[in-house]
Amino acid sequence: MRKEAIVLIAHQFLKDTFRSKVIFVTLGLTVLLIAFAGLTGYDNYHDQNFIRYKVQNEVQDSWESNPDKHPHRMAHYGSFAIRMKHVLSIFDMGMENFVGNAVFLEAHKQNTVNFSEASMSTGILRFGEVSLAMLLKVIVPLLIFYLGFASVAREREKGTLKLLIGQGIKRNEIVFGKWLGLLSLSLLFLCSVFLLVLFFVVTEDHNISLADSLSRYFILFTSYLLFYSTLSVITVMVSAFSKTSKAALIKLLGIWLLFVIIMPKSLQAVGHYLYQTPSKVEIETAVEHDLKKLGDSHNPEDPHFRALKDSLLLANNVNNVNELPFNYSGFVMAQGEKLSTKVYLGHQNLLYKVYDKQNNLERYSSFINPYSAIKNLSMALSETDFKSFLHFKDNAESYRYHLAQEMNRLQMDLIPNKGKEGPKQISSKYWKEFPPFEYSFLNITQVIQNELISIFALLTWSILAVFGMIRFSINLNAI
Amino acid sequence: MYKLLFRSFFRTKIFLVSLSLLLFVGIISILIGKQYLLKQEKTIAAAVSFQQKSIQNNIKYHNEDLGLVLYYLRFTLIKKPVNLSAISIGQSDVNPLLQSVTIRNLEGQKHDTDFENPALLMSGNLDLGFVIIYLFPLVLIAMTFNLYSEEKELGTWRILSAQTTSKLSFLLKKMGIRFLFIFAVLIVLLIAAIFVLRIPLDYNFWALCMQSFIYILFWCALCLIVISFQANSNFNALTLISIWIVLTILLPAMVNNYVLNKYPVPEALDAMIEQRDGYHEKWDLAKGVTMEPFFEDFPHFKKYIVPEDKFSWIWYYGMQYMGDLESKESSIKMSEKIRLRNKISETIALVLPTIHTQLVFNKMASTNMIAHLDFIETLTKFHEKLRVAFYSDVFDKRPADSIDWGQYDVKFYEPNTNFNLFKTLSPTLLITILIGLVAIIKLKRL
Repeated sequence: MRKEAIVLIAHQFLKDTFRSKVIFVTLGLTVLLIAFAGLTGYDNYHDQNFIRYKVQNEVQDSWESNPDKHPHRMAHYGSFAIRMKHVLSIFDMGMENFVGNAVFLEAHKQNTVNFSEASMSTGILRFGEVSLAMLLKVIVPLLIFYLGFASVAREREKGTLKLLIGQGIKRNEIVFGKWLGLLSLSLLFLCSVFLLVLFFVVTEDHNISLADSLSRYFILFTSYLLFYSTLSVITVMVSAFSKTSKAALIKLLGIWLLFVIIMPKSLQAVGHYLYQTPSKVEIETAVEHDLKKLGDSHNPEDPHFRALKDSLLLANNVNNVNELPFNYSGFVMAQGEKLSTKVYLGHQNLLYKVYDKQNNLERYSSFINPYSAIKNLSMALSETDFKSFLHFKDNAESYRYHLAQEMNRLQMDLIPNKGKEGPKQISSKYWKEFPPFEYSFLNITQVIQNELISIFALLTWSILAVFGMIRFSINLNAI
Repeated sequence: MYKLLFRSFFRTKIFLVSLSLLLFVGIISILIGKQYLLKQEKTIAAAVSFQQKSIQNNIKYHNEDLGLVLYYLRFTLIKKPVNLSAISIGQSDVNPLLQSVTIRNLEGQKHDTDFENPALLMSGNLDLGFVIIYLFPLVLIAMTFNLYSEEKELGTWRILSAQTTSKLSFLLKKMGIRFLFIFAVLIVLLIAAIFVLRIPLDYNFWALCMQSFIYILFWCALCLIVISFQANSNFNALTLISIWIVLTILLPAMVNNYVLNKYPVPEALDAMIEQRDGYHEKWDLAKGVTMEPFFEDFPHFKKYIVPEDKFSWIWYYGMQYMGDLESKESSIKMSEKIRLRNKISETIALVLPTIHTQLVFNKMASTNMIAHLDFIETLTKFHEKLRVAFYSDVFDKRPADSIDWGQYDVKFYEPNTNFNLFKTLSPTLLITILIGLVAIIKLKRL
């Protein structure tokens, strides 16, 4: 293949495209949509983070301003963890609005993460949201198909394809040139969105390192580039091997519907159909059941805790728990917390494994459907996927556990046993010493590890597509 | 004439493809609805046994201390499943089917969610409602975009126009056949749904059917108007798909962005903090701070003496009550905000048949936001009734086994399914008639 010929064809393709009025209308509308998505995305990010940051600070203030009291009161007073938005959530909202935003952290109990936007919304939310990524994932692919369906087919219809070949331009040079032209058109959309995103990434003040955000940004850009390169191959090849431009258009519209609308949704639904999840009340029943077997600190006759008590008495050489050198009920609660948390998390992990199974059907379809690859990858890099939510939830849970156990430790160390002399409350300085909940995001290495399948699928798609195009386009029919 | 048109239509590839696509996805969607109903049944059964067992256990451990029993015991209110909801699952996957609450403060409990895979929540349920709203129009577009242009491109239009008296009636007949076909598929799917999902044939079901028919008519009218531009097949396909995207994806999503940004609900988080602080602070304050407002709202409990120097259940439940009292304002504001969001959405939906149809479906199936808010309101009353009844028992220090626990089984809430048929159906119907008329006037000039 010769470079000059390819560039010539690509150049001609762009010139032809810009000769028609349609492209300007399309560009104009796209710019409006990008502006709308950017603006609303930014507003949402800014307002929500403002509200949440304020609330998280209030939570800390009220925690610290508690007077002297019994530490177990503080364990029940608890704290809240509020989920913050990553700056890239302006770009891709992902599951943002479908996961909870705030969770109450208290002793003995894992609460659900509540107040998702979805729980406060009407049925409209299911139609989706406009975000910059949504435009890039859903609308721009269609535009690429619109702009490229006629690329080769129309040349054939008009008879110019024969002329080109007659002039000594090779078939694969023609197809490659058209592809290059179409890809550069798609770059127009891609770059305008990413310029805007760069602005947000650089200017928004955030608690994460700029280096991390920027590396996410560059991987995002590269992924979309690969995605568009694949889509352009599909477009040009369908156009090249369809009898008429009409047939090419219909096929491409079908592919778009299948890739973007029908497949992801159906596979997600089928995954859910195949692997059923228990409801909360069933999980709670199971947790209670397991705890009863292992040891229920609330049951005074529980054999596990009775045995524990006996061994404690023996080890410390005393007859009564109140003679122990530490607060006994603090000790029992610490043990109970340890057990119940272990059992609860065990069931929760089982549930998440089922979720993974449900999602895997759609995830592995990336090898058939490049849209799924970019969808999952884009969410993960924007910190709006399920794993990012779980990261928050895990952080919140370990903070909760740490808080409860710290209060139990204070009780064991500082509160006297029943019937013994000593203070029933401890200084408020201990609350002030307890560190606040720190929000953290996944780091880029973890994100990449989570999305290996999507990355691999996307790379496979783009490499196979381009090589396939070069290899098969020599069979192009001139007439 | 009809015979010929039918025959030529049935021979097309598109007919076979669309028939199998609609039936296949339609049946899957009904099965998904069935599974959704089964899951609800399973959950309800689990809730019933959970409540009974939990009552037994707690009485066994703490019979002498009813206050402590009621600290742990949870009472369940369940939204009575409506089988029609299997057609339009709506918001019922985000919002829990049931709520189990203790008689402690309610605000901290009533927003607890159930577990659901967020990936599924995001992609939405593949219910029959989705098939009707998204896929039926697509199939209609695929069958009609070249209704006229094909005849022209194949050169058959000239012959036809020489042979038929009215070209308009010819096109309308062609359109009619396709409409009848789609209509027949819809009826087959709805009948299948009636049997598989055991849907009672009540007003709500018929309203849902009528809205579906009108919705499909709306798309017929849209297709007709695009055909009336007399452009080529490529143009028609592009235009119709673009209209489909704008109506089913872009505009609803933009409305959604607008509503979420315009009406944020910070009150949700405010109420969450207020309910905790409203209760917890009271531990460190004089008993009077709690008891005065409590006795003001419940004067008949004034006869109980609250010991100043030690713990008492009346003080404890009084403090819990303060959590609800102090978060009440934010809580009310929150639900008003959500109702406002709903109102704005419904108003915008009047001119967007896609959104309107979805909202009507959800409303008929009681899976809309309002149904959930109503449930929460009923839950508040349910909680209050329980509390007030138990307060006297606890304050009287009655033992737990003196209570008639038999009456504390799970309770069911029946959603309000009333609606105004005219208000429900007229928006889409009017738009359809309007577009249809314009299309026919334009086509008459053919």
